[in-house]
Amino acid sequence: MSILKVENLHKSYPIKKLFKETKLLNALTDINFHLDRKETLGIVGESGCGKSTLAKVLTLLEPKTSGELSLLGKKYEEYRETDFHSKIQMVFQDPYQSLNPRKKAIDIIADPLIINSQLNRQEREEKVLAMMNKVGLREDFKERYPHHFSGGQRQRLGIARALMLNPEILILDEPVSALDVSIQAQVLNLLLELQNEFSLSYLFISHDLSVIQHMSDRILVMYLGRIVEYGPRNKVFENPLHPYTKILLESAPSVNKKRESATIISGELPSALNLPKGCAFQSRCPLVKESCKQEVPKLKSVDGRSVACFEI
Amino acid sequence: MILDSRNKIKMNLLNIENLNIFFKTDKGTHPIHAVRDLSFHVNAGEMLGVVGESGSGKSITNLALLGILPETAIVKADEMFFMQQNLQGLSELNWRNIRGKEISMIFQDPMTALNPFLSVEYQLTETIFTHQNISRKEAINRAIELLTQVGIASPKERLKAYPFELSGGMAQRVMIAMAISSSPKLLIADEPTTALDVTIQKQILVLLKNLQEKNNMAVILVTHDLGLVAEYSDRIQVMYAGEKVEEGITQDIIMHPTHPYTAGLLSSRPGLSSGLPKSVLPSIHGIVPAFHERPEGCQFHPRCSFVQEDCKSSAFRNPCLHPLIQESIA
Amino acid sequence: MKIFFNELFTELKKNKGALIGMFVIILATIIAILAPLLAPYDPAKIFSESLRLPPSTQFLLGTDDLGRDLLSRLMYGSRISLSVGLCVVVLSLCTGTFLGVIAGFYGGFIDRLIMRLTDLIMSLPSILFAIVIVAVLGPGIMNAIIAVSIVAIPNFTRIIRAQVMVEKNKQYIYAAKLFGASNFRIMFVEILPNCMAPLIVQASLGFSDGILNCAALGFLGLGAQAPMPEWGTMLSDARSFIESSPLMVTLPGLCILVIVLSFNLLGDGLRDALDPRLKKQN
Repeated sequence: MSILKVENLHKSYPIKKLFKETKLLNALTDINFHLDRKETLGIVGESGCGKSTLAKVLTLLEPKTSGELSLLGKKYEEYRETDFHSKIQMVFQDPYQSLNPRKKAIDIIADPLIINSQLNRQEREEKVLAMMNKVGLREDFKERYPHHFSGGQRQRLGIARALMLNPEILILDEPVSALDVSIQAQVLNLLLELQNEFSLSYLFISHDLSVIQHMSDRILVMYLGRIVEYGPRNKVFENPLHPYTKILLESAPSVNKKRESATIISGELPSALNLPKGCAFQSRCPLVKESCKQEVPKLKSVDGRSVACFEI
Repeated sequence: MILDSRNKIKMNLLNIENLNIFFKTDKGTHPIHAVRDLSFHVNAGEMLGVVGESGSGKSITNLALLGILPETAIVKADEMFFMQQNLQGLSELNWRNIRGKEISMIFQDPMTALNPFLSVEYQLTETIFTHQNISRKEAINRAIELLTQVGIASPKERLKAYPFELSGGMAQRVMIAMAISSSPKLLIADEPTTALDVTIQKQILVLLKNLQEKNNMAVILVTHDLGLVAEYSDRIQVMYAGEKVEEGITQDIIMHPTHPYTAGLLSSRPGLSSGLPKSVLPSIHGIVPAFHERPEGCQFHPRCSFVQEDCKSSAFRNPCLHPLIQESIA
Repeated sequence: MKIFFNELFTELKKNKGALIGMFVIILATIIAILAPLLAPYDPAKIFSESLRLPPSTQFLLGTDDLGRDLLSRLMYGSRISLSVGLCVVVLSLCTGTFLGVIAGFYGGFIDRLIMRLTDLIMSLPSILFAIVIVAVLGPGIMNAIIAVSIVAIPNFTRIIRAQVMVEKNKQYIYAAKLFGASNFRIMFVEILPNCMAPLIVQASLGFSDGILNCAALGFLGLGAQAPMPEWGTMLSDARSFIESSPLMVTLPGLCILVIVLSFNLLGDGLRDALDPRLKKQN
C-alpha cells in the first residue's frame, strides 16, 4: 500500500503588483506520485523547479491550491493536527538556520515531546538521550548550544528532532548539500541505517544527482513545477528518456567521465511568471518541434516509467 | 623550460615556497596558523584544481595571492613569485598593477559580488578604464566584445541591465567578463559554480575551460567538488586543514590517490563509482578540526584509518609518511 | 542565556564609556536603595531658620528656599528618577514588545493597524505628545509615567517587529510548526529570545529617555508634585533663585545630566557589543 499519495496537486501564488493585473505563479502543476513504505523517492530538479514548495505543501507549511493528498490511506483533511505531525516530519537543508541558536541540544530534541506528549521531564530526557545515541551524538553534548556543533553534528541534531515523534515519512530537503564532502557520506550512511531500523519512507529532495542516485529507489525529475520524468532509479539513470533528464545527468560532475563526450544545454531557466505556451522546456530543448510550442505534453508510460515529452 | 606537444612555452607562472599565513586573535597569545608550509606552482596556461573542505585554507591562500588579506593576517613565505616578480613586500601601488590586471578573481556568489545599484555597463567599463587608457566609446565596444566572448546573447541590451535583472549564471558570466577584461595571466575562480544549478555550472566551466585554452590564461579552480576538478583541471592539489596533502596530474590523483584523505574523499562520493545504491558508503570518520583544535603532526591523523605512531610526532611534515601507493608516480 | 551574557560582558569590558556608565548607574542605584541610611536628614524636614544656605559642614550642599537639605533631597531624588525610569522601561518594553511580536508575526491587517498607531505616536515630538496625554489624565507622577511610557512604545515595537520578520522565516521556525507548536509558543518561546540583543540596547536607551521626559514633565509642573524631591520639579522650583543661589539649580540639573548620559553610554556600548556587523570586523 502506498503510504503517501499525491493526486493532481496544484500550487500557485498570486503575485500582486500595484496598478498591474494580479498574476498567478504556478509553482506546482499536475503533480501525481506515490510513496511506498520503506521506500526512498528522490526528487531532482534545478532551483525554481518547485521541489521545496512541494515539501512545504506536503507538510502543510503552505496550503495547497487544489488536488488531493492522502497519508496512510486517509485524506489530509481527516487528520487531527497532532496525529498528522507525528506521521510526517522534515529535515532541513541549512543546519545553521534550522536549529534555534538560543536553545540547548537537549531542549531542541525534546521540543516535539513537550508539545505532543504528556511525558515528564525525566522520561523525556531518557528518550532524548536514546535518540542522541541513535544518531551518533555523545550524551555529554546535551547541554551544548547549536554553535558548539559542527555542520554534520547539527544535521544529526535535526534528524534526531525529526524522529522524536516516530514519523512514518521523513522529508529530507537537501539534507547534505550544506555539509563538507567528507561529512556527507557519514550523514547519508546514518540516514540509510535509520531507514532500515525504523522502517521509514523518505522523500529525498536534492539537486545532487549522485546523492539521489545512491539513496533512491525511484526518481522524480521536475522542471518548472511539472514532473518531466518519473520512474525506477535504474530506468531513469541508465536510460533517461526526457531530454531534460539526459542533459541533467550529463551535466553532473563525476570523477569517471570524459568531458568531451557531453553536450551542453544552452540558455537558462525562463521566468516562472512568463512561461511560454506549450512545453516549459522548449527554449532549451535540443529536440524542440513546432508541436512543443502549442501544447503541454502529458505524462505517458514508456519503458517502465512516465515521461512528459512528445518526441519519445 | 619545457615544451609541450603544442609547442607552447610552459614555465612557472606562479611559484610559492613554504607559504605560512597566521591570523592575530583578540586574545593575542596564539595567532591562528591558517596555512602551513604550503608550496605550489602554477604553469602558464594550465588549469590547477584546488580541492578542500571548509577550513582547508584554500580561500585564504587566494586572498594572499591578491594581497587582499585583512590587516590581522601575517604572511610569511620563502618565495612568492609571480612572473619573476616577488609578491612579498609589494607596496599597495604595485599590488594594483598586478591585482585585477595580471591576476583576477571570480567569486562564489556573483550576485553579491556585483554592485546592485550600478548597471552592467558602468561596472564593466569602470573595470576596463582602471587598466586601459581608452575613450568611453572604445570601452563600450570592448565591453560588448567581452560579453560576446563570455557567451551572453544580445550583449548590447544586457549592458543596460542591472544585476537584479540577471540570473545567477548570467551574473557569473558578467563577473568573468570583468575578470578577463585586462587579459590576465592568471584567473582565480573561488567556488565559481557552487551557487549555480548543475546545467548552468556546466556552461560556466566549459566557458572557463575555453577561455583558458584560447587565451593561454592559467586558472586556479578552487572547489570542494572532486568531480569538477576531475573533469576540467590539468593538475589537482588536495588541501586539508591548511596543508597541501597531495598534488599531481588529474588522472593520477583520481585513479591512484596516494594520500588516505584523497582516497577517502574519492571513495565516499556517492554515485556510480562506489558500489551498489543504498549500500553503506565508505566514509571518513570524525570532523575537520577547527583552527584552535588542530592536532600535532599530520593534520589528518585523528581521522586516518592507516595512522601509525610517527604520524603523530610534531616533527611530521607533508607528504604522507605511509602513502597508499609506495613508489611515487611523478 | 548564560553564555549570551558572558559573551556580552567580555565585549562590554573593552568599551571604557560603557564601563563608566555602568559604574555610575550602579553607584546611583546603591545610593537610591540606601537613601534612608545615607541621607543626613529627612528630605521634607524644614529648617525654617536656614533658608538658601551655601554649603557648610551642617548642610553639605546647602539648603533650598524652604530650608530643606539639598543633599538629602538629591539622594531621595535618585530613588524617584530611577524607579520612574524602571517603570517606564517595563511598561513600554512589555507593551511595545508584545505589539511588535504580534505585528511582525501575523503581518497583514494587524501589522498595518499597529504600525499606523505607532506612526501616529511618532508623528508628534515625544514631549509634546506626553504633555497632551498628561493634560488629559491630569498632572501627577503616575500619569507622567503612563504618558512617557506610551510615547516610548513605538521604539520597541518597531525594533521587535523588524527582528521578528527576519527570524520567522528561518528554518527552525518551520521545524517548530512541523511538530505542532502553537503560534503563541513560536512567538514567545522560539522567536523572542532571538530578539534579545536589540531589546537590551533599546531598554538601556529607553531608561534615559524615560528619566529625561519625566523630569521635563516635572519641570513643567505636570509630573511629580511639590513636596516630592524629584529632580525636574526641584529644578523648576529653584529657577527663580538662579542668581542668588546657583547650586540649587545646578545640582538637580547635573544629576539628570549624569544619569541620562550614563544610560546612553551604556546603551551605545551594548549596541556595539551586540551588533554582529560591528563584531565581525574585530
